[in-house]
Amino acid sequence: MAKMQNKVMKAREAIDRFVKNGDHLVIGNYTVGTCAELVFEVIRQQKKGLTLYSQSGVFDVEVLVAGGCVDKLVSTYVYRAGGKEGGSAVERALNAGTLTMEDYTNFQYNARLLAGMHGFSFMQVLEGAMVTDLFKIRSFMGEDKYKVIECPYTGKKILTVPAANPDVCIVHVQRADKFGNAQYWGALGSVAAAALASKRIIVSCEEIVEHEIIQSSPHLTIIPGYRVDAVVEVPWGAHPTEVLGYYNLDRTMYAMFFLMDMRGDSLKTWMDEWVYGCSNREAYIDHYVASYGKGKLNAIKAKPYFSAPANYGSAFGSCWDNDELERSMGITLEEMEKILEERGLLNG
Amino acid sequence: MAKKYTLDELLIITAAREIHDGENIILGVGLPTTAGAMAKALHAPNAVLMMESGICDFQPLVPPNHIADANACRGFSYSTDLFSTFTMAYRGFVDVCFLGVAQIDKFGNINTTVVGDYFHPKTRLPGAGGAPDFLSYARRTILTMRGGDFVNKLDYFTSPGYLEGGDSREKSGLFPPGSGPTMLLTTKGIFRFHEQTKEMYLSQVHHGVTVDSIRKDVPWDLKMADNVTETDRPTDAEIDFVRKFAPTEAVGRKLMFELGMQNAFKLAAQRGK
Repeated sequence: MAKMQNKVMKAREAIDRFVKNGDHLVIGNYTVGTCAELVFEVIRQQKKGLTLYSQSGVFDVEVLVAGGCVDKLVSTYVYRAGGKEGGSAVERALNAGTLTMEDYTNFQYNARLLAGMHGFSFMQVLEGAMVTDLFKIRSFMGEDKYKVIECPYTGKKILTVPAANPDVCIVHVQRADKFGNAQYWGALGSVAAAALASKRIIVSCEEIVEHEIIQSSPHLTIIPGYRVDAVVEVPWGAHPTEVLGYYNLDRTMYAMFFLMDMRGDSLKTWMDEWVYGCSNREAYIDHYVASYGKGKLNAIKAKPYFSAPANYGSAFGSCWDNDELERSMGITLEEMEKILEERGLLNG
Repeated sequence: MAKKYTLDELLIITAAREIHDGENIILGVGLPTTAGAMAKALHAPNAVLMMESGICDFQPLVPPNHIADANACRGFSYSTDLFSTFTMAYRGFVDVCFLGVAQIDKFGNINTTVVGDYFHPKTRLPGAGGAPDFLSYARRTILTMRGGDFVNKLDYFTSPGYLEGGDSREKSGLFPPGSGPTMLLTTKGIFRFHEQTKEMYLSQVHHGVTVDSIRKDVPWDLKMADNVTETDRPTDAEIDFVRKFAPTEAVGRKLMFELGMQNAFKLAAQRGK
């Protein structure tokens, strides 16, 4: 059912209204263009007890775990800064016993969301994993991490994963309209499935555009507006990660983050400055410009390489031609009404 | 004086009034798409109109020729696929669906597949299309029947209404609670379904139609609403919209065919001149 209230709001309001303590929260973005500002806002609001789903846990998962928001993690990839000598927030939390994690393969993780998106209770996945420890070693999912069934057609053993329907998805896209129709292009990953599987959806975007822009390019929409709860316009909303068509990865900032991520105390220092120390993305960008100069930011701004427009036009916009004749019957409205009257086809 | 209307206009407008603002609507070609266009233009600007081909939230331009007719839209918001449109319904995101009917029984089960024997048909009809899945999972379904029949037993059970009536649909565990057909619209009147028994009853009759003539069409003892009223009159704005947006539907199939043929002959006669 469509949600009628005004969906355009600030990140603070969106996270406050739609992310609850104890939620299953999925980061919709995969590797690129992560919803950094929404992630930071979850941390600033000190949401607790989350079960976090992330296809590829990098910078976004690290700060959420370090921020103390996450009890459980479902992922396929954990970042470890600094190689052998380094460390990561996930590793530290696992060792401290404050985090438990369930490992899946990329395919299996995506399959869980696809099942959820389509309303199915499970999904078939690739059976080779049955011989691995992914299958054998189970954390909080226990018995329900995987189940094996027999194919009713071939009798073959089939590996399945249960559907995932997270409570809320936070996701960053290039553009959206005020109704929540969200357009995203580039590496599609599991972005649409993550959003559509979820019960609530918070979309942040580089820019809110007129509905007409969306209507003339529906092939770019990955989330229909009627599914969306909140639309947040956040320029630079994925920084220091990249958004195709808007800006590149900020390699310097990214490298600095991972340097600090190697140890718990230094990560805390980084988060005090960039997450807690900036009340919103505007403040974060102001702080960035004050620290490194506007030129550093301008240097990663995308130069246009526009996609060719797709023509959604058709021959005519009405059943009546330029002479006001109906196109298949060849008569005017007046003539049509006269015939209806003569034939006794009018009632009331 | 209020404007006079054709039977087809009345049906389209009555269907359109079942659409509320902000709802997600699955539309088939013909009456439903014109009803959807009227609703969106006049009383439900935020209705999300969808076709099962994956055209989601379209802005109607002209009546579509088929359910994949993007040429009939002034753009749309979301281009998805057929599979995802059906699972949208499966997950409960479709509020209203419109379906045409060839045979219907007293509990709103429908046949759109065959009249007569399945293997040796008297009339082979289009078939299932999207009907069984949408009637299963849309929150409400509006059925329309023009030229079809009320029967005690369907020749072929295509799409599930209220099964054996009562709570049998709900008890089957196969369908979302509260789903099922909510209205049957025919050329003579409007039928609804009793809250408990789920048996169809006559709710309203169209202008100039007698209850007796409807009884004659129904092979069982048709139940009546406590107060069978006349179908609500269309407003001038509604009639004008339908007539201008979809003139060939407003005049009805018979006259459309006749005038269309006349025009085709006229064009043929002008060839080479």
